[in-house]
Amino acid sequence: MRKLLSVVLAVSLLILLPCAAGAAEKPVVGLVMKSLANEFFKTMEEGARKYAAEDGTFELIPVGMNSETDIDTQINAMENFIAKKVDLIVLAPADSVGLVPSVKKAVDAGIPVVNFDVTLDKKALVDNGLPENFLFVGPDNTLGSELVGDFMAEKLGKGAKVIIIEGNPGADNAKQRKEGFMKTVEKYELDLLASNTAHWETEEANTLMTNLLTKHPDVQGVMCANDSMALGVVKAIEAAGMLGKIEVVGFDNIGACQQLIKEGKMLATVDQFGPEMAANAIKVGFRILGGEKLDGWEKTPVKVVSAADLK
Amino acid sequence: MRKKFIYFLLNEAGIGLILAALCIGFSIFVPNFASLHNVTNIFTQISINTVIAVGMTFVILLGGIDLSVGSVLSLCTIVAGLFMTKEGVPLPVAISGAIVLSLLAGMVCGLFNGWVSETWKIHAFVVTLGMLNIARGVALQVSGSRTIFSFPKAFNEVGTLTFGGVPLIFIVAVTLVLIGQFVLNKTVFGRLIYAIGNNEEAVRLSGHNTKRYKVSAYVICGAMVGIAAILYMLRLNIASPILGVGFELSAIAAVVIGGTSMAGGKGSLIGTFIGAGIMGVLNNGLLLIGLSDFIRQIVTGGIIVVAVVLDTYRVKFSHMLLK
Repeated sequence: MRKLLSVVLAVSLLILLPCAAGAAEKPVVGLVMKSLANEFFKTMEEGARKYAAEDGTFELIPVGMNSETDIDTQINAMENFIAKKVDLIVLAPADSVGLVPSVKKAVDAGIPVVNFDVTLDKKALVDNGLPENFLFVGPDNTLGSELVGDFMAEKLGKGAKVIIIEGNPGADNAKQRKEGFMKTVEKYELDLLASNTAHWETEEANTLMTNLLTKHPDVQGVMCANDSMALGVVKAIEAAGMLGKIEVVGFDNIGACQQLIKEGKMLATVDQFGPEMAANAIKVGFRILGGEKLDGWEKTPVKVVSAADLK
Repeated sequence: MRKKFIYFLLNEAGIGLILAALCIGFSIFVPNFASLHNVTNIFTQISINTVIAVGMTFVILLGGIDLSVGSVLSLCTIVAGLFMTKEGVPLPVAISGAIVLSLLAGMVCGLFNGWVSETWKIHAFVVTLGMLNIARGVALQVSGSRTIFSFPKAFNEVGTLTFGGVPLIFIVAVTLVLIGQFVLNKTVFGRLIYAIGNNEEAVRLSGHNTKRYKVSAYVICGAMVGIAAILYMLRLNIASPILGVGFELSAIAAVVIGGTSMAGGKGSLIGTFIGAGIMGVLNNGLLLIGLSDFIRQIVTGGIIVVAVVLDTYRVKFSHMLLK
């Protein structure tokens, strides 16, 4: 309860302070982010702030959360933005169902909402009287993992023996990334030895990979649904003395993995341009404010990053 | 005579019988389970949890708990990692400094946990829940929520050292279990830990400063987390503000499976060590059998409950034998 109270206070302060300070007539954009504890969202928020500072034509109010699952903070932030009558809300929902009623309230209040990063649930949208193809700005996770999977399969050749390390079961991006890897598996007729979850975590991925190596010492390639897990997988391969015999690909393009790619311990990862993602969503939002009618999926770029890109 | 032997077996070997049964079962049904290579892996995999669980045993023996160990571990890796990757620090200083800082960070958190809960008589559940958030927040703030890597090569290489198939980090874990068990059994401090767990008021009335002993137990727990943090860095060569989520639950599970009473006063570190072993063996063996993730989770949870239930019968039965 005390935690909740302090969060509510902090959020209202965040929203009230700039309101009192900035008397200019600039449009106000409310940015509702996910957990800033995650490196990925932290750089995304920094990217949005940078864009706002450079652009200078609008005022940005970013709000983050304490943890990936703290949806109350997001709902409170949405309500505060609606009460404050901001001009645009840009939202990365922590829960693709739970945030839909708040989106509906904002839309009813005449505030355009841009959904980015994770799509809102289609059924929940319809149930709440919103269009099924509600505007979404974000990367194609399925395409990204398929691209990096293909990159590895090209190197290994048809029929190679591979393992998939999955993210959190139930998380949308985990499902999509596995789907992408599975497309690679079908296309290249790969022999999928195992597909297990390590819940996005380095230590768990390390333990899992060590055990999988005992079971499948003949594995040739590992596709990891994020880079944190790739770190643990590479370490497991290194400890087993099998570096160079097994290719590893990841997703997210974090600094530690760039290092591994440069050292040749990892093959590639996927960059979905996190720093620009929130900024892109804001840009799309301004097109709506400019009178455009947008819906469906505005795809943001994904790109395979390998040693050739990291010179 | 036979009665006495069964009593001994039940009481001393206790939960170890279940571990032995699991190991024999897996060895028969799973190819590779009993290979030297796989056993080495299991040793590596249980080391970190074992060390945390050693500290956790001290506080649970007092009837306390420490929910902050996962976050504090993360904070310790950040403190140590930042120091070790500092430019211009000579290698020996960087490594030894990192170890000392990690230990200190853990002990300061432990001191806070113990001192606050003892001074204001707040249950450790609440104080350590607070520390869980504080330590995580500090780790994120200090690191800018970024993963730290590129440790000195010498440090990373120490992490992969094994002696005849026994990993260095496992040797550290076993050493700590043995030292801890010695302290609990053979020193006044250790006996008082048990006594306080059984009847704190009686210990206080017999003239002991119970607060000092209780706070010390939390500091020991923090120190163990500091050591576990170094072992984590040796094993995975990273320091990160998001690691260690849920480690407290694995440690508490190891302690409880090992036969230590959550109410305090009863238990041993050997039991805790076996508890950590059971969890590691299950995780490894069930995967090698080829069970899916979800089934594995169900079976692991089920076996934990069954092991503890069986343990209550073991205790009852051995008491019956004694009568």
